[in-house]
Amino acid sequence: MKKEVLLSASQPELGSALRRAVGMTPADVAFEVRNAKLQGRGGAGFPAGVKWVLAGGASGARKYVVCNADEGEPGTFKDRVLIEDHAERLLEGMAIAGYAIGSDKGLIYLRAEYPYLVPRIEEAMASMKASGLLGSGILGKFDFDVEIRFGAGAYVCGEETALLDSMEGLRGEPRNKPPYPVNTGYLGCPTIINNVETFVAVPHIILNGADWFLALGEGGDSGTKLFSISGDVERPGVYELAMGSTIGELLDLAGAKDVQAIQVGGASGRTIRGDETSRVLSFRDLPPGGSVIVFDRSRDMLDVLENFMEFFVHESCGQCTPCREGNLQLLHAVRAIAEGEVCCRKCLAEFMSLAEVMKGTSKCGFGQTSSNCFVDIVRQFAGPVAGQGGR
Amino acid sequence: VAEGVERHGGGRGSVLMLLTDVNRELGYVSEEAMREIAKASGISTAQVQSVATFYSFISLKPRGRHIVRLCGTISCVMKGSQEVLAAVEKELGIEAGQTTADGAVTLETTSCLGLCDKSPAMLVDDTPYSGLTPGKACEIVRGLRKGGGA
Repeated sequence: MKKEVLLSASQPELGSALRRAVGMTPADVAFEVRNAKLQGRGGAGFPAGVKWVLAGGASGARKYVVCNADEGEPGTFKDRVLIEDHAERLLEGMAIAGYAIGSDKGLIYLRAEYPYLVPRIEEAMASMKASGLLGSGILGKFDFDVEIRFGAGAYVCGEETALLDSMEGLRGEPRNKPPYPVNTGYLGCPTIINNVETFVAVPHIILNGADWFLALGEGGDSGTKLFSISGDVERPGVYELAMGSTIGELLDLAGAKDVQAIQVGGASGRTIRGDETSRVLSFRDLPPGGSVIVFDRSRDMLDVLENFMEFFVHESCGQCTPCREGNLQLLHAVRAIAEGEVCCRKCLAEFMSLAEVMKGTSKCGFGQTSSNCFVDIVRQFAGPVAGQGGR
Repeated sequence: VAEGVERHGGGRGSVLMLLTDVNRELGYVSEEAMREIAKASGISTAQVQSVATFYSFISLKPRGRHIVRLCGTISCVMKGSQEVLAAVEKELGIEAGQTTADGAVTLETTSCLGLCDKSPAMLVDDTPYSGLTPGKACEIVRGLRKGGGA
């Protein structure tokens, strides 16, 4: 069901959540976010409050609050829209995080593709500072300042440890975990890294309470979720729905006809058939990152898959073999299927098993999910077994 | 580089910011610049190069005064970005990845620009353009060659 909180036209007064937060103990603020079961809105779904509680309890003279604004998943633009329209709320959420974990330094890692958002963020920073909601002596209780850092065009830097390496001036290659960023993050200090949408949700949680947030969701999910919908729809754009809504409800809002396939969660997400409209947008079923791309029956899904595999081959950091080589082999496989060269079940089974190996042995979320689209599309839409080999 | 070191401070952590600044200023990062950055950050030139080559937005080859990045991801492809690309290539007389002989424009294709609600889209230097048609895109790049835009 459509439910507007983050995008609502009637927004709570700026700073009211921050005021409420500083009336609580920092630990209680972190507990509130944990109890709200706010799952990472970038798409991985890790409970944000757990990060906050752990980082709050970690020892370290310096701690950092990092906002992941490296929105690179194909088809995702919700964070861009949030920054355009709600940059102040984002900063308020980050400041609340700073208070909760005991950090005086926030960093926004902004993707290089969004340079035009910088003036907007700077304007928001200036107005927050002018109202005493950012900078030193916030509400007479704590200091918290925010700085913008830039990516330089690398999808993998949205992975939180690659993002940290990139901010430290290195190649953006994911680190081994553990240690986790909550203990050993930016420059080795305890660090929380949350998505733009996650931070924007925080002030609403602090103002209305964890129980209110839990009740927003459907079927046991909590909160609302933003979806960027594009492709073959009449009204592409960003929609906010209760977490746990069905894909059919979203399609109705955006206006989709003659749907062949829907990809939920971007290139690394899952691809389902157009008639599976009762599937649920939830970490229980279709993990919702932000991207929903709709394909009507005129689309050749093998072309779509080739585009995605080219993307993954280009963006793999190359550090681990399953991801670096696996994506390349799958790209070759897509092209071979298109040419009608892979037509036996045996060859196909080999590629499916490679996809499985990539999932199980890649170092980070990139390689663990990049074969999803291959498996889903070849199985359901375009494989020789599906009877459509060759073009 | 010296200016950048003043702005960001030296040290290992500022390498990417220094590279980004030089890349923006010159349109690319020269070997000389990488040596300077290495000296300022106390690491080897090879290490600086390894960072520089990792990121799509940083170039080691000289590029044009303007950089046109056309989105090549699926939502834009579905709305005709390939036709836009073909038209712009014809207009400029170059292929994606090349620079016009007059040094005005470098044309690149890029991963998703996050403008999928207004596809097809491109980024010209720091400015986004969306809802493109072949005609509209050609007009924009023609303007760049005439020395318009910044």
